[in-house]
Amino acid sequence: MSQTFIGVLLVVICTLLEGIGQVFLKKSVLRAVRWYLWISFGVVILSLETVIYTKALLFLDVGVAYAISSLNLISITLMSRCLLREKVTRKRWIGVCLIFIGVGLVVART
Amino acid sequence: MFKTQRVIRNNCMSVRKKSPIRLAARLLLAILIGTALQLVWKSAVLALPDDGSPWLNVQAILHSPLFIFVIFLMACQFFNWLMVLRDADLSYAQPITSLSYVSVFFLSVLYLKEAADLIQMTGIIFVLAGVWFISQTDHVTQFREREAK
Repeated sequence: MSQTFIGVLLVVICTLLEGIGQVFLKKSVLRAVRWYLWISFGVVILSLETVIYTKALLFLDVGVAYAISSLNLISITLMSRCLLREKVTRKRWIGVCLIFIGVGLVVART
Repeated sequence: MFKTQRVIRNNCMSVRKKSPIRLAARLLLAILIGTALQLVWKSAVLALPDDGSPWLNVQAILHSPLFIFVIFLMACQFFNWLMVLRDADLSYAQPITSLSYVSVFFLSVLYLKEAADLIQMTGIIFVLAGVWFISQTDHVTQFREREAK
């Protein structure tokens, strides 16, 4: 496995962890019971993501890693839809896709 | 399970009554803190000694007022973000905070004298258009309305 592939894989794992961590934080404000557990899980997962992202930067340029991590938007929207049952309308998907392309264009040049 | 779903629905219904102005203010704060965080973090990293030794870097981080400010900003961002999530869908709030890319871009061009090109400007227009589309949707899922349909 090439170093670039490992770096890309780590950043993709980070985007998934970001989605899961954010879902846990959202669960903590939705649930009246055991909210502290959801917050704790969220913080642990987001901290783990930071460690893995730092590791990924050893294999990738910051600009490339930053561009790939804009996949966060897609993973968070998908997880909100599937795990939190949020209503993601077509208009919201269009917005997410436009932002995804826009962020990619802005950070890919850095 | 039914009890949990009822709690979620009740919470969502209480969220519905809250003012969107308060949500907008919290989202704006999230964008501002996010912008400040990125700029201060970058300045803090640039101020680190170019020594390369990890131990010296850790020592420098612990003694750097800029890094302590970064940690303070992170804590503020976390608590503000929980408040945002209490009032809005995750799939609504998260994409809107991408506006911090726009503010960081303009501040970097204005104050850090970084170069801007046509591709980046196009990207900024895409981000702004995307945020406009998302702002046209309901900020919170209405479970009762959805069940009635």
